[in-house]
Amino acid sequence: MEKPIHMEYLLNELANIKVRNERQRRMRLDVPSKELPAVLELLKGRAGFMHLSAISCVDWIDENQFELVYHLWSNQVSTLVSAHTRIERDPGVYLSVYDLYKPAAFWERDIHEMYGVFFEGSPDMEKFILTEWDGPPPMRKEFDSEAWVNDHFDWQNYRPDWLQEIEQEGGGIAILPDEQRFSRKAEE
Amino acid sequence: MSSADTKKKDIDYNSNGSVLNPLKALSFFAKKPVTEKLEPRIAAERYRGFHVNDWEKCIGCSTCQKVCDNAAITMVKVPSQKEDPLNGIRNLRPAIDYGRCCWCALCVDLCPTGSISLSREYVHTCYDEQLDSYFLLPDPNGMHNKDYGEGWNKTEENDLVDHNRQVMPERTPESRSDNFDEIVDGYDKQQAIIEASRCVQCGMCHDACPTHMHAPEYIRAIWSDDIEDAVRQIYRTNPFAHTCGRVCTHRCETACSIGKRGEPIAIRWLKRYAVDALSHDKIKDIVLGDVNPESSGFNIAVIGSGPAGLTTAFDLAKLGHKVTVYEGLDKPGGMPRYGIPYYRLPFDKLDDDINVIKAAGVKIKCNTWVGKDITLEQLKKKNHAVLLSLGLQLGRSTRIPGSDHKHVQKAVTLLQKIAAGEKIDVPKTAAIIGGGNVAMDIARSLARLQKQKFGEVNITVTAMESFEHFLADPEEVKEAQEEGVIILPSRGPQECMIEKGALVGLRTLKVLSIFDEQGRFAPHFDENDEICHECETIVEAIGQMTDVDLLGEELTEKLEWQRGRLQVDENCRTSEDWLWAAGDMVRGPDVVHAVADGHTVSKSINEYLKTLQMEKKSS
Amino acid sequence: MRAENYEPKQHPPSHEYELNFGPNHPGIEGNYALKVKLHGDTVVSARADAGYLHRGFEKLMEQRLWIQNIALVPRICVPDPSPMEVAYSMAVEQLCGLDVPERAQWLRVMQLEMSRITAHLFYFGGHAATTGMYNPMFWGVADRDLVLDLFEELTGGRVYCIYNMPGGVRRDIPEGFLDRLSRLLDYLESRLPEYDNLFFTNHVLINRAKGTGQMSQHQALEWAVTGPNLRATGLQCDVRRDDPYLVYDELEFDIPVEQGGDALARTLVRRSELQQSIRILRQIIQRLPSIKGPIRAPIPNPLAWNVPAGEAYVRLESSKGELGWYVVSNGGQKPYRVHVRGPSSMHAVQVLENLAKGSRLEDVAQIMFSLDACPPEVDR
Repeated sequence: MEKPIHMEYLLNELANIKVRNERQRRMRLDVPSKELPAVLELLKGRAGFMHLSAISCVDWIDENQFELVYHLWSNQVSTLVSAHTRIERDPGVYLSVYDLYKPAAFWERDIHEMYGVFFEGSPDMEKFILTEWDGPPPMRKEFDSEAWVNDHFDWQNYRPDWLQEIEQEGGGIAILPDEQRFSRKAEE
Repeated sequence: MSSADTKKKDIDYNSNGSVLNPLKALSFFAKKPVTEKLEPRIAAERYRGFHVNDWEKCIGCSTCQKVCDNAAITMVKVPSQKEDPLNGIRNLRPAIDYGRCCWCALCVDLCPTGSISLSREYVHTCYDEQLDSYFLLPDPNGMHNKDYGEGWNKTEENDLVDHNRQVMPERTPESRSDNFDEIVDGYDKQQAIIEASRCVQCGMCHDACPTHMHAPEYIRAIWSDDIEDAVRQIYRTNPFAHTCGRVCTHRCETACSIGKRGEPIAIRWLKRYAVDALSHDKIKDIVLGDVNPESSGFNIAVIGSGPAGLTTAFDLAKLGHKVTVYEGLDKPGGMPRYGIPYYRLPFDKLDDDINVIKAAGVKIKCNTWVGKDITLEQLKKKNHAVLLSLGLQLGRSTRIPGSDHKHVQKAVTLLQKIAAGEKIDVPKTAAIIGGGNVAMDIARSLARLQKQKFGEVNITVTAMESFEHFLADPEEVKEAQEEGVIILPSRGPQECMIEKGALVGLRTLKVLSIFDEQGRFAPHFDENDEICHECETIVEAIGQMTDVDLLGEELTEKLEWQRGRLQVDENCRTSEDWLWAAGDMVRGPDVVHAVADGHTVSKSINEYLKTLQMEKKSS
Repeated sequence: MRAENYEPKQHPPSHEYELNFGPNHPGIEGNYALKVKLHGDTVVSARADAGYLHRGFEKLMEQRLWIQNIALVPRICVPDPSPMEVAYSMAVEQLCGLDVPERAQWLRVMQLEMSRITAHLFYFGGHAATTGMYNPMFWGVADRDLVLDLFEELTGGRVYCIYNMPGGVRRDIPEGFLDRLSRLLDYLESRLPEYDNLFFTNHVLINRAKGTGQMSQHQALEWAVTGPNLRATGLQCDVRRDDPYLVYDELEFDIPVEQGGDALARTLVRRSELQQSIRILRQIIQRLPSIKGPIRAPIPNPLAWNVPAGEAYVRLESSKGELGWYVVSNGGQKPYRVHVRGPSSMHAVQVLENLAKGSRLEDVAQIMFSLDACPPEVDR
């Protein structure tokens, strides 16, 4: 789909922004972190991007960056804009867009809890889902939840009769589930 | 609701409702309850209930375990079940932990054999102390030994096994029948990656391979486009990478799990792709990485530069031993060079393999015939160990009347001449006796020469076996036929017909049976079904034997023999402690078995050298 | 935080007290808590407390092969699981550039609409229960079970269908399925007047629901309310129409709206939506036999998938509102990041907190249920 004309105009006003229009009704903007609030304001004010669908955070640990993605929908131009911006993983602080979009409060609180990114100006950075969790923000890539589970829980040790019979015949457990798991292997 | 009245609302938001309307529901007191009783119910036809597993079909490949997203499957060894690595069957069976299973049925969809399915049974309850009942080894009988019938099972719709092999591009019969150019083009990168992606990494190929190649690992490396790692994995067990990538008898593919219902992974062609895709220098770099630069001070002599000899030499040279290989002919390689036609294995590829081996420090002396140019006794004196890997270079004769005529030739001799580039008299018509791969090789080689010289092919292959029991690979037979070779099964040779001193034909009878009830060779013929195949030349391709003259009478006496073959133990050791024997001469013809022998010998020799060293130190 | 560990930060004034509403409460779909501050029986402020159903799906998905996630994703939302698997599959398909055969798309729409019916029936029951009426709840659950019977026939599972995978669906319809579906639709339609008598035109419901949890259209937009809850404020807004996916643009259906913006309006919108879903399914029953072809695009061995690097944001209209799936691949064998935007993330937190404020305690459960707020979606 071609971009509606006034989106063209609008985007022309914005310097330093990469625009990609890969799929129907989807548009990706790559925005420097300093300019993102201004871009959102412009989109909301001038092209009807009233609806903040979600804010996603992606941990690009190898590049030592967090990517924040603001998904905005406008009924006026029937397009979903995904505005991408990157911030440094350390200290992991960014500006809240709560003033523009009320729903941002939930997403920013969620990202703070799961990734440890602090949003300045967000109304509420308190714990929400992980009330009793004292560990590191779990969605960060360096947190190995499977290792944590293996440290804290045991595998059920079944000893059914049939297994004991097979063991008497010289057989028995040959390959444990974890040894062959492909999802585990894919990491190696 | 029809589309006409969609705009009209059934219920007005502003109406106040009624307090009496709900009373209408009182009529339901007169209706039967809809609640179903809590008792076992047979679920829908494709319900995903508890597992059942057909143990006859299950091969223990553990693909179900790999795809299981909850790590609910444990593979259990069941000794009462059959184990047959050559045919890709293990006695492992999946056991399910119903504390973890989520009944997604991916195990069913990806099962290569279709043995596992889910039943229409879904109720299981127990007390705490019966928790072991959550761990089940599914068999055909179902969880509670009650037959609820198969629910979700393998159908064409939900089958996720990729059954079809990437088609290997190759020359058409027209473009290949008058030249010795290699027939197969090899996979390109795209094809190789797709082909490699079909693999489920069960490792049946590894178990079936005589030299236990790390096929799952190199296939996976090819899939992730890491050719260097693929080559490294190949060289862990096989220095004849190019050769085996082309002419291996690929036991791996016979054992492949995917081959149970579809076409097996083209493991041989993938190996070929990997070594072809990497430059010769890169391969050398990878291999030379594990060479021990320090010399051990031990000398080893290897007689014969075929795959068995060179593999031993390669292994021992990497360990720092000084290895010299003696070859009677003018080029190294043995049977792969002098027995396999160029169109199947181009010499430069064999040279590549041998150059890598040489780079590891192996010395090869060609044109040095042990027994003539140098004696075995001399080798024994100069070396700490000697390996005989002589190969099978003498053709066997049918010994039928007339088979001593000069136009009755042996296939191996003829193939060797063609490979060496010697001029041979190309016969206008030829009959081949034999139905193995050597018979196909000579038939197809002669066919090419005939096509070049006369423009037409006139070759008949007569084999005793019927097509169902043919010894040659089916694709060899098919390709030979495409090239104009006539192949007649179930024909037993009776006589080479000679008129006035000239060979005029081969007389054969129809074979009724080859073996007697005890399985001994005792063919029965139909005397009424006789054919005389007119021909100028007859080639016998019924088997080979080893030229063991170099041993000398005294040693021949000392060694143990069985039906003309030298006897060795499981480490390929003869009864003489300094002498080993390996490869075709003790094992029968097969490249990859020869390579496997080579590793066995090198291990055994290395152990022996260690004991020598200990003795030296202690004395 | 567990109730026994809870300590109020400061001692509240004597005329105010705090109450933990939940985490186990019959008026809530799944475990969820609302800490309400009360003055008398009027809510002064409310604070949502989630986490009782947190299973870390987004993290788990990063640790599983692309194919393995198909079994995981429906579990994110218990009452309406099917849109999850469709959304995930669509996202992976977009990343791979995989074209889904037409028949598979129709089957997916069929599944989605059947799922919408189950969710709405469940919702009616729930809403009735929170107003003290238990009979519609039994009816809703019993009738929902009839749709689940058809799911069982079609997909092999009653609730978690695991019917979709990237590329298409796993099985075609069984023989006679469309007839049985058609008969079921007739039956459900014949039940509607009975529901009307017992529930929708029930004076008790209307009195309890009218004006309860009321929000204006402006508020709804500001709080990113979507789905039936938004349509109950008079805005005709539906992802199926605005951002069409699958074959929704080939289907005729209305987008019902109400103006009230309260619990009653929300329930009436859903009642009309049920009719629209029946209408869509009738069209599918008519069209499906003429749509031939495979039900799944050819896909390679699932143990060897490398999904091309990239990202996709898929939006779907679930029974609760706008469902968003953001999937990122770094070219590997597993998703690099999956983010699920459940509509309840908005409805169950910000919206609920605001609507509960000023309401009576006995209406809190009704407000939550009338928003169709689904805690497992919030927790993920």
